Amino acid sequence: MKNKTFNTKALLVATLVSALTIVLVFYGSRQLQNFDAALVTYLFGTVFAFFGIVYRYSVWLQRPPTWMYFKRSLKFLFTGKIFAHMWFLGKESVENIVVQKFIYPRSKYRWVAHFCIALGCMSAFAITIPLTFGWIHFTLAPDSISIYEAHFFGFKMMDFKIGSFLAFLIFHALNWSSWLVIFGSIYYLRRRLTNPGLIATQSFEGDLLPLILLIAISVTGLCLTYSYQFMKGFAYDFLAVIHAVTVIMFLIWIPFGKFFHIIQRPAQIGAHIYKKEGMKKGMAVCPHTGEEFATQLHINDLKIVTKQLGFDFTHEDGTSHLDLSPEGKRSRLAQAHLRARLESGGSLFG
Amino acid sequence: MNLTNFNRNEEFFVDLQRCIGCKACEMACAECETNGQESLISVNYVERSSTIQTTVQVCMHCEDPVCANVCPADAISQDEFGIVHTANTERCIGCSNCVMACPFGVPKKMEEYDLMMKCTMCYDRTSVGKKPMCATVCPSGALFYGTRAEIEEMRPNSTPINTFIFGQETVHTKVNIMMPKGSNELRIY
Amino acid sequence: MAKLPVSTEKIIEDFGPHLNYAPKDGYQGRDEPDEVVKTHCCFCGMQCGIQLLVKENKVVGFEPWMEFPFNEGRLCPKGVQRYLQNNHPDRLLHPIKRVEGKGFEKTTWDEAMDKTVSEIKRIQEKYGKHAFSMLSGVSLTNEKSYLVGKFARVALKTRNLDYNGRLCMVSAGAGNKKAFGLDRASNNYSDLEYAEVIIVAGANISETFPTLTHWIWKARDRGAKLIVIDPRMIPLARTADVHLDVKPGTDSALYGAMLKYLVDHDMLDHDFIDNHTSGFQETLDAVKDYTLEWAEEITGIDKNKIREAAELWGKAKTSFLLHARGIEHHSKGVDNVLGCINLVLATGRIGRPYCGYGTITGQGNGQGGREHGHKCDQLPGNRDIENPEHRKYISKVWGIDEKDMPGKGLTAYEIIEAIHSGEIKGLISICFNPLVSLPNNNYVRSALEKLEFYVCIDFFLNETARHADIVLAGSLQEEEEGTTTSAEGRVIRIRQAVTPPGDARTDTSIFLELAKRLGEEDKFTYENSEAIFNELRVASKGGTADYFGISYKKVEDNMGVFWPCPTDDHPGTPRLWEDKKFATPDGRAHFNPAPYKLPGEVTDDEYPIILTTGRVVSQYLSGTQTRRIGKLVDQFPEPMVEIHPELALKYGIKQRELVRVATRRGEGIFPANIVETIRKDTVFIPYHWPGAKSANQLTPGTLDPISKIPEFKVCACLLDPQGKIAPPSKESEAYASV
Repeated sequence: MKNKTFNTKALLVATLVSALTIVLVFYGSRQLQNFDAALVTYLFGTVFAFFGIVYRYSVWLQRPPTWMYFKRSLKFLFTGKIFAHMWFLGKESVENIVVQKFIYPRSKYRWVAHFCIALGCMSAFAITIPLTFGWIHFTLAPDSISIYEAHFFGFKMMDFKIGSFLAFLIFHALNWSSWLVIFGSIYYLRRRLTNPGLIATQSFEGDLLPLILLIAISVTGLCLTYSYQFMKGFAYDFLAVIHAVTVIMFLIWIPFGKFFHIIQRPAQIGAHIYKKEGMKKGMAVCPHTGEEFATQLHINDLKIVTKQLGFDFTHEDGTSHLDLSPEGKRSRLAQAHLRARLESGGSLFG
Repeated sequence: MNLTNFNRNEEFFVDLQRCIGCKACEMACAECETNGQESLISVNYVERSSTIQTTVQVCMHCEDPVCANVCPADAISQDEFGIVHTANTERCIGCSNCVMACPFGVPKKMEEYDLMMKCTMCYDRTSVGKKPMCATVCPSGALFYGTRAEIEEMRPNSTPINTFIFGQETVHTKVNIMMPKGSNELRIY
Repeated sequence: MAKLPVSTEKIIEDFGPHLNYAPKDGYQGRDEPDEVVKTHCCFCGMQCGIQLLVKENKVVGFEPWMEFPFNEGRLCPKGVQRYLQNNHPDRLLHPIKRVEGKGFEKTTWDEAMDKTVSEIKRIQEKYGKHAFSMLSGVSLTNEKSYLVGKFARVALKTRNLDYNGRLCMVSAGAGNKKAFGLDRASNNYSDLEYAEVIIVAGANISETFPTLTHWIWKARDRGAKLIVIDPRMIPLARTADVHLDVKPGTDSALYGAMLKYLVDHDMLDHDFIDNHTSGFQETLDAVKDYTLEWAEEITGIDKNKIREAAELWGKAKTSFLLHARGIEHHSKGVDNVLGCINLVLATGRIGRPYCGYGTITGQGNGQGGREHGHKCDQLPGNRDIENPEHRKYISKVWGIDEKDMPGKGLTAYEIIEAIHSGEIKGLISICFNPLVSLPNNNYVRSALEKLEFYVCIDFFLNETARHADIVLAGSLQEEEEGTTTSAEGRVIRIRQAVTPPGDARTDTSIFLELAKRLGEEDKFTYENSEAIFNELRVASKGGTADYFGISYKKVEDNMGVFWPCPTDDHPGTPRLWEDKKFATPDGRAHFNPAPYKLPGEVTDDEYPIILTTGRVVSQYLSGTQTRRIGKLVDQFPEPMVEIHPELALKYGIKQRELVRVATRRGEGIFPANIVETIRKDTVFIPYHWPGAKSANQLTPGTLDPISKIPEFKVCACLLDPQGKIAPPSKESEAYASV
């Protein structure tokens, strides 16, 4: 909560990562010979986004609860049966990051819409970032006028025929992404504009603007395609500028706004690993209800973390209020309240 | 957010000994628009084998909320009215830190959703000047939402307090608990 | 003919109970309803005001109604969830008929009506008019209750009409009539506010009338002392000043001893007794030997607690005494009520502000429904069907010859007995699920199987209706206009929020159609519910329950009018007896001797433990509606038998172990809930469930000689632990219960 405005450690890491990115761009594009100068604004936007994301991520990691989780999950991951852990990691990544299965029980429509946005965004990132960095580029095969070759980091990856279905899919990949994003975003926008619970708690910049931005990027991107394919480049330059502006806004906003959750989400797997490993070590039993309620590891760590954050729930006898389950805590509060009422003359009312 | 109509004069007052355990509040809580048919208030027997006593717990909306502090994902925020909001759905990683750290046992981990949800004092209602669902329906007055003047008139022999002591920690909250007249705090053993 | 056509499992599969939950984002349209209908909850006599949200002829949610004076928005869990009975997948959308081996099949209204009318005629021609009987219920509005009474007497021409109020507050009604000459709570509940002492006898208010708690707590906030009389530590009793944990079946001994204590210590209102009552001396004579020591022995309550209660009651300046089924469901139900009334009369605290007395009526329209001719011996306005003048007046209102007015018929449980004996062959029922709610229900089931023809009007296929030949798809409370009368005597407006779905019809239109086909159309033509109410007003005129001065408009304008209200300009009567003119023939309030008698069944070596029954907060009566609402079922998924730890230890019973509870009539297996909040000699089972989970397999059909109420609250049982722990209650299918 109480982040310092300036964090040297994070600044250092972020600067290093940004520098590294630029170095990789330089070499990945073969000393810039594959670099498309028209994309230079995008490049700066992306590098700045990288800087922001890493900075923010580093600040975030330094928070005691986050660091505790980060530290513990990495430690669990790399001790003992590493292969089993990696399998678990892989499975969890597919379930939670790729498929986002936890959204499904909240509502299947929400899941479909979110999956569309996620798939659209991820595929777009996968295409545009390497493209911007000059890591991907397409050339005609040396002895042909109908075979295209795709290169990554200067190495040939694949080839395909011009005019083939595969070529159609590849050259229009960003259009497919756009449609997915538009579909999902419109669903969410509609939901946010009609669901009273959301209307009450959402904010324009935090919840509506991101959706509007996603739609703007996708629509302008699509317009570019339609402009040069069907309208002989009508308003192409104008559209290109608008598109660039929305994309760059999106990029530099990632670290600060809603989109940071994309970067943050893998922590969920950390939480799962933490719980799984904690269960192996044993459960905490609530002294009030007599029932298991959390892993002992979790309770012990929380005692440390809360102290680091300036909270101390330790009783005089050395036990902690945190030893109680949520139900136990509620009951103890009620018992304390009853006792206080009885001790002051016994009137429970008035 | 609909900040315009939040009534700053009205407060939440809880009196645990009036609770009859009927769970009208739990049912009503689920009807709150922000909660998607999930009940975020808790009613439970204190120790059923020996007493019929029940307790009811809404979020106390701490001034310095432990839940938000221990959240590794910055998913819990507090607004200008002191309302501590439920986990931001896109950020919450379902770790349960808040569930286990809250001294009042308020946040609920919805295992199916891998998400924490908690009481927002019916933000959809309070932000437009209505009373929270639970306090509106509570048939026993264990939950009351209104002005200080109203509660003083109704229960002249009780004092609302918002200071709670858990071990070494003193917690101040937005929500009040009704105590014997002249009390300043409630110490939880 | 009325055996089940197919297995219970198959019927449950087709007709439920299934659990209804609201969709995660609520029903569509909840945020922008077409209509917000100010009406009342259907689940109990409090009749809390509630607003139903309606979208496209469906109830999609609710909003608290803050202005209604009794509850000011407050609700219990049943009230919050009540909207889910609408839009229910189990709802009967058309008439159905029994098909042997197949279950129930869709039929047309014409065919269903034809069959019904021809069977009524056949049975009545063959066995006599009274061989066709009718059972009704008081969750119906005043209009429907009145219509049922008229329908049975004028169209069916049977004397055998009775209602489920017979299991509800008839003991209180009989007691009130004896003492005051009129059957209504003497005060409205705002008189609780400044009562110095409140006695709550046999009323689990916080579970059965949760919203009344507010008024009691309000009095507590002003320093009122609370005395709770109950064999269990109910939620209200936990914080009470005195909890008299009475042994079931001994209530009258307690009231007798308290009365003697008041007399011995001269805590009496002599002026009131001398000038406004009669029968004091005989009443005293009946309790002259009832010392505190004697009472302690009989009731099992520490005599010091009885003394404390008597002292508190005796010294108070203002007070309120409330009772409910806990003292009324006895073979001495009327005596228990009279015992309470004697305590009120002895202190003269009635007919003044904050001096109150009353039974708390259980059913939605338990008060209004019992006033207008629903009972076997009653005509509208709480008139007597055997009183020649009353007969004459009502015959005139109904346009029939007084000779054709049937006489007094059998009471509800006696109707079941008469079906057994072959005296009654046909039955039409509405708003009554006797297979769950009547005692000794194995006996009830075998009676239903003997019927030659049974037609049921209901919106869900309840457990009893499964035995019917024809089921007519009727209407929910929110599907017809009308009025009810709440437990405090306040006549209020029930609004039609939606029309019946599918091919279902309003109950009223079903009765009018049946009457027409029975050849009585001219007496059953009404334009709307208000027309029925206006006839009711005339019919009640001059009776003790006088509604003549109450109109729909007056009710709407004032958010309720308290009867009696004899003229148009009369404001209604929230507090009775302010003029000390009681409705008895001599104008005085009557003391009545209420000597202690043994209950109908006492414990012995074979059945050594007392069994008592009651309710839980999330279920309403036989559960026809509430066992279909998901969250209410989740709150109490199954009945458990409450056992004191000492008793459990004696039998080696563990928490949640399955225990066979058996009485002379039947047995059932229930998970044990071992709690210190019950007497050591008593076990408790809630009764809302049917079949194998039904507590009423165990209860006796012993009736009070005056009120004919069955003795649900006390019988002898044995406990037989099964050595198995019950599966988690979440897996319980008890709500469906085969």
